[in-house]
Amino acid sequence: MLEVKNIHSYYGKSHVLQGTSLDLKEGELVCLLGRNGVGKSTTLKSIMGVVNPNQGSICFNNQEIVGMKPFQIARLGIGYVPEDRRIFRSLTVHENLLMGIKGGKQKNAGTDDWTVDRVYKLFPNLKERKNSKGAYLSGGEQQMLTVVRTLLGNPRVILVDEPTEGLAPLIVKDVLDMLDTVRKSGVTILMVEQNFKAAIKVADRFYIMSKGKIVFEGNTEQLLAAEDIRRTYLEV
Amino acid sequence: MKKNYVAYSVMVILFLLGAFMPVILKSYQMNMLTEIIIFTLYAVSYNLLLGYAGLLSFGHAMFFGLGAFVTAIAINHIPGISLINAVLFGLAATIVAGFIIGCLLLRHKGSYFALLTLAFNSLFFVVATKWSSVTGGDDGLSITRPDLNLGFTSISMTNANHFYYVALIVVGIALVFCWYFTQTAMGKSVVLMRENEERMKFLGYNTNASRLILFTFTGALAGLAGCLYALHFQFVSLSAISVDMTTAVLIMAFVGGTGTYWGPILGVFVYILLQNFLSDITDRWAFFMGLIFIFMVIFIPGGLSQVIMNLYQRFFGKKTDDNTEVEETT
Repeated sequence: MLEVKNIHSYYGKSHVLQGTSLDLKEGELVCLLGRNGVGKSTTLKSIMGVVNPNQGSICFNNQEIVGMKPFQIARLGIGYVPEDRRIFRSLTVHENLLMGIKGGKQKNAGTDDWTVDRVYKLFPNLKERKNSKGAYLSGGEQQMLTVVRTLLGNPRVILVDEPTEGLAPLIVKDVLDMLDTVRKSGVTILMVEQNFKAAIKVADRFYIMSKGKIVFEGNTEQLLAAEDIRRTYLEV
Repeated sequence: MKKNYVAYSVMVILFLLGAFMPVILKSYQMNMLTEIIIFTLYAVSYNLLLGYAGLLSFGHAMFFGLGAFVTAIAINHIPGISLINAVLFGLAATIVAGFIIGCLLLRHKGSYFALLTLAFNSLFFVVATKWSSVTGGDDGLSITRPDLNLGFTSISMTNANHFYYVALIVVGIALVFCWYFTQTAMGKSVVLMRENEERMKFLGYNTNASRLILFTFTGALAGLAGCLYALHFQFVSLSAISVDMTTAVLIMAFVGGTGTYWGPILGVFVYILLQNFLSDITDRWAFFMGLIFIFMVIFIPGGLSQVIMNLYQRFFGKKTDDNTEVEETT
C-alpha cells in the first residue's frame, strides 16, 4: 500500500535519512522505533512531503508521491498527525472535527466513510467535550482529537508521530486503545514511538531505525526475541 | 446561527437608518457620510487581510487608487459610458492586478509580505506620477459622474443624494457579502491558516490558493471602494494611490480594532469625524490626530471594539463570541 524505497533526506547539509526503506500493508499498524534524532519523524515528514527526499521513491497505491505538496498527498488519502498535535485552539472540539472534513462539509458520505456521528459513537468522550474549546482540552484529549480529525478526511493511511509523548500512563492506554480501534476499522497506521513497551501492545510489525537507516524489521515475537537489538538501539 | 441572525439584523437596521439620513442631515454632513460609507468598505476589505488572515499589507492603496483611476480614465475616455460600466472597468482592473500581484506574493509572509506590498504600492504610485498623460500626474483627473442607467430607467447622479443611495446600496451588499464570506468554510480556513497553516496543509487544504483568493478578493473590494471614491469626489488625485492612503486605512482598522468584523467600521466613523472636528478648530489637526492614535495603539491595542466588548462583558457578564478570542488563545 505504501512503499518507501531507499530514501535520502537532508536538513541543509545534514544527511538525516540515509537510505530508509519500509512498507505498509493494508490494515496494518506498523511502529517505527528508535532513539531521539535517528530520523523517525523525518521519515514521516518525507512521506508527507514536508521534507523532500533527494533520492529514492515513495509509492502510495503504486503512485509516486515524491515531489508532491503536503495538501496533495493529504488529498490522495494519507493523513498526518504531527508530534505537537496542533489542534485549533480557538475552535471547539466539534468545529475542529468539521475542519477535518475538507471544505467543512461532508457530502455523499458512504457507509464506510468516517462521519462526525460515527466518530462520536466510537469515541464518546469526545462527544462529551464537543462544545469545549481546543485550548481547554487535556493532552490526551488533544491527541485523540487530532487523530480523529485526521480520520474525517477519510484517509487510507495515517502517520502518527509519537502519540503517547508526554502523556500520563493511564492516558497512554486510552490513546493506544483508540489507535487499535482505528486500525480495526480498516485504516492503516504508521506510528512513530520511543516507548516500545507501550507500542508492543498494539502494533503488528516493527521497524527500528538508527542513524537514518532501518536496522531491524519484524513482528512482536521477533522483536521480543531480539534482545541485543533492543539493548543496542532502544534502551538508554 | 444565532450570531449570523443578529449580524444580518444589525446590518439591515443600519441600512434602513442610512436610508433615512438624507432627510435628517444637511448636504455637508451627507457628503461626509458618503465618504464614511465608502471608506467603510475599504477598511473592511483591509481587515479581512490584516485581522482575519494576519497579513500586514502596506500596499492596499494600490488597489484603491487603481480602481479610482481606472474608473476616472474610463469616464474621461469612453464617451457616454454608464456609471455601472465605469465601475466594472475599475473593478476588473483591480481583480486582474490583485491576481497577478497575489501570485507573486503568496509564498511570502510577515515582514517580507509587508515590504513587498509597500514596494508594489510605490511602483503603482510612481507609474501614476510619471504617466501624467493618462493619470493627470500631480494635477489629478476631474470627472463628471455619469447617470445610472438601469435599462428601464435612468437616474441622474448630479444630485449628491442619489449617489449617496448608490454608495449605500453597493457598500451594503458588499458588506453583507464580506460577512457571509467570513462565515463560509473558506473564510474560516483563512483564520485557521493564520493560527496553524501547516496543520491546514496536512488536512488537505491548499493554503496558497486560499491566500491568493483572499488577496484578490480584498483587492477587488478596495478597488470597488476606490471606484466609488472617484465618483463621489468627481476627482482623483495621486493621494488615492499613495502609501498615505494605506496608512489611513491601517489607522482606521487599528482605531476600531482588527479583532472583530465591525471594529474597522467603527474606526472609519471615528477617524473621519475626528479629522473633520479637529480640522475645524486647528490647522495643526494632523498633529493631534497623531497623538490620539499613538495613545490608542499604546493603551488600547485592541481598539474601540475591544473597549466596547470589555464594557459589555462587565455589565452583562457574558463573553462576546467574536474573533478576539482567536487572538487571545493563539
